[in-house]
Amino acid sequence: MNEQAPAAVSVRGLTKTYGATVACDRVDLDLRRGEIHGVLGENGAGKSTLMKVLIGLVQPDAGVIEIRGRAERIHEPSRADELGIGMVHQHFSLVDELRVWENVVLGDKRRLDRTAARELVGSIGERYGLRVDADARVGDLTAGLRQRVEIIKCLRRDPDIVIFDEPTSVLTPQESEQLFDVLRVAVEREGKAVALVSHKLGEVRRATDVVSILRRGKLVESGATADFDARSLARAMVGRDVSLRGEASALGAVEEAEAVAHHAPLGGEHAPPDSVATEVVHALAVRNLVVERRGHRVLDHVDLTVAPGEIVGVAGVEGNGQVELADVLASLVEVDDGSVEVDGVAVPTGVAGAMGRAGVGQIPEDRHDAGCVLDMSVAENLVLSEFGVGQGLRRVDRSAMRARATELIDRYEIHCSGPDAPFRSLSGGNQQRVVLARELSADPTVLIAAQPTRGLDVGAIEFMEGQLADAAASGIGVLLISSELEELLHLSHRIVVMHAGRIVGEMDHADADIERIGLLMAGVDVDASPVAEGVGAGAGDAS
Amino acid sequence: MTDSTRILDAYESETPARDAAGDEPRAAGGGGGPSAREPLVVAGLYVASILGALVVSAILVVVATDGSARDVFTALLDGSLRSPGAWGLTLTTAAPLLLVACGSIVSTRAGLINIGQEGQVLIGSCFAAYVAVRLGTPGWSVVVLSLLAGAVGGGAWAGVAAGLRRWRRVPEVLTTLLLTFISFPLITYGLSQSWLLADRNTERRNQLNTGEQLPSDALLPDLRVFGNDIDTGFFIALGLTLALAWMIARTVLGVRIGMLGLNPRAAQRFGVSSERLTTWALIGAGATAGAAGGVLLTGGAAGDRLVFGFAGNFGWDGLLIALLARNRLLVAIPMAFVFAMLRTGSSFLAATGVNRTMTDVVQALLVLALLVPPAILFVRDRRRSLRAAAEDGV
Repeated sequence: MNEQAPAAVSVRGLTKTYGATVACDRVDLDLRRGEIHGVLGENGAGKSTLMKVLIGLVQPDAGVIEIRGRAERIHEPSRADELGIGMVHQHFSLVDELRVWENVVLGDKRRLDRTAARELVGSIGERYGLRVDADARVGDLTAGLRQRVEIIKCLRRDPDIVIFDEPTSVLTPQESEQLFDVLRVAVEREGKAVALVSHKLGEVRRATDVVSILRRGKLVESGATADFDARSLARAMVGRDVSLRGEASALGAVEEAEAVAHHAPLGGEHAPPDSVATEVVHALAVRNLVVERRGHRVLDHVDLTVAPGEIVGVAGVEGNGQVELADVLASLVEVDDGSVEVDGVAVPTGVAGAMGRAGVGQIPEDRHDAGCVLDMSVAENLVLSEFGVGQGLRRVDRSAMRARATELIDRYEIHCSGPDAPFRSLSGGNQQRVVLARELSADPTVLIAAQPTRGLDVGAIEFMEGQLADAAASGIGVLLISSELEELLHLSHRIVVMHAGRIVGEMDHADADIERIGLLMAGVDVDASPVAEGVGAGAGDAS
Repeated sequence: MTDSTRILDAYESETPARDAAGDEPRAAGGGGGPSAREPLVVAGLYVASILGALVVSAILVVVATDGSARDVFTALLDGSLRSPGAWGLTLTTAAPLLLVACGSIVSTRAGLINIGQEGQVLIGSCFAAYVAVRLGTPGWSVVVLSLLAGAVGGGAWAGVAAGLRRWRRVPEVLTTLLLTFISFPLITYGLSQSWLLADRNTERRNQLNTGEQLPSDALLPDLRVFGNDIDTGFFIALGLTLALAWMIARTVLGVRIGMLGLNPRAAQRFGVSSERLTTWALIGAGATAGAAGGVLLTGGAAGDRLVFGFAGNFGWDGLLIALLARNRLLVAIPMAFVFAMLRTGSSFLAATGVNRTMTDVVQALLVLALLVPPAILFVRDRRRSLRAAAEDGV
């Protein structure tokens, strides 16, 4: 952390607006060689836009970018490449069927040289501690190893500046630790400048030397990581004291917390149903659910209930059974044991359309997977569930379908050229609105929302969160599956934590605290072994 | 390029600019108003590439066979359209091709890859022949039962693949193809056994491996129009194709089939059971191929009896028509007619001194020519959308 060293990247006054939304507002950022620079912020704080500017995917409206002291215009990704800026993306772009070395050299225009490619994988692995079998098929690798392949792909060009975009979202805590070791090697031994983009307090504190905190497009604070504690980081990121949220609602002082917060905890806008009485019929009751896949228990005796009007959050590191749980509730998977009841009525699993007919709506994690048919029109996608019932040889009433679509497009403010627009032509946010409109207009008993705000911009996130809160207020039971703790704390009346296919903890909104959830997510048995100070993200050392 | 492609793909769904702008990102790219000229561009591409194929064919005729390109062209037209009764024969030949194609299109739309049409045609024609020759029911019922038997045979043959797919999860792309190769020795065996299909007429010198001649009441009647005999089979094929086109475009069943093909998981979630529908789609495709075998036999387009090699690539060609029509039923109708023209036209080639296998080359070139425009359009659209995605950030 030599203050005299010339900044590898120096950004001054960078501004980027999308319509009325200011994604980046006069942001300054310095990335130095030999430093890991944390870029911290909530979803939609402008982190991604800032990084996209650096790799040439987005052109800023104003501001100066200097690379090693020289002003540059990064007009396209290949220019960023030439300047030695590389990025490891959050979403993997690997071909599962190909081997590791093939993936690494994929896209090369030169002749394919197997030996050289394998040596390359080996030597980069050696240099950075990124060991991975060059001959393994990528589809067989764990998420952690796949990410290594992705990192090797980036590092083989030997960039001076490496940006990691939310790298830990798919990693287990152990894999995250290993990743941080790699980052450390990259800055200390190889002298690179590393930016770690994250919304997780713990990892920024654990892994970075310098931190810049963005909120609503503005750089709110910046400095050596050591000068911050978890509490001050959280305050800068969210705009108020995070742990206040739990305390405030416990003390019944939600309004006070809201007054200082720029975004109010939506969960507090309407009272969670007072202690759900046992005789109340659950909107959703999942009992003793077991799903096995290739001899591996992906859901292990899961018990879960959602009362009408209640938002139950499911926290957990991705890949701990959330997808399978959502799939069971979408009729996509048949369970090996256990039962699902909707509104007190047992629903068979794995039977096409059964969950939907029973009143389960779902906003799936990957809307392109089972949430829509890309090559059908918007109107058709708005009524998909109607095609599944009744006589096949009846005519499709196109005019009724169009009329209904027009109404929903209007009500949910879906931007498209009309009901007949191909669903494919819509932007991500609008596609998500179509899904939401369809699921809510079916008047569900319970709504499953899996990572509903992923990849959406600020406005779309607010819209989505508002819709979920409204749905609950209207008496729909909502099961919110998310890896965004902030979002869960924001919306849920009750939070359960999943780890390794099991529900390992449960708490009311009032008792929720980030550390405990974090430990449960990591598989630490909180109740059995009281936590040692400093193991968690550690608001404990703040006072 | 590839690097940026990858990056753009990763961010495609996340670019907020599209939300803000609220318009269609893909249509926006490329500059200017491409949509109005689009049909002309597409038509122009097809015309150009077909002309290209014809020019290459003409060069090949001259260079490789020493023939005259004009003579060959004239002979093809004479054989398929201009000589007396020619277009009737062409329509008759188109019937089994169209039948095979329409079933294939429906099953492909349901997300299946059936490539065993040749075997399904063959087994269908065996069933049809057995009923026509051996059962001897009175009057017109023979031909009706014969055609139905053909459909049952083809459906059963595809049903083997459908069953393996449903209960053992064996990919139908393998089973349908392999079943075709099983059907070849099966028909040889059937033709060698007099209790099955072999000719029982001992007066014929070489009755080995040939089927019995069909009785006249087992032949499909012809419709005589302007001196052309059009086989009833053609109207069956045309009617079925139109009915299926209506089903796909207008009914809930058609939407279900589309959902299955486009996104099977979404279909499952919204109540379209993949197992039942795909099973029946595959059996149905086999049944139309089998019926094509029956039409081939009773319509007289391939002789008056079942012989080895009877199916004569009608199954493969039908599959090719389905592919070239890009799974649109109404496009398959003219496509089947063109393929039938090449078949009937080739019989006139002998007079020009050019080997009739030349038509196979012409056919192959035409197939390639029809594949070029979609490929060009695909590459163009992809480039455009990439550029649009890149400009979105600006």
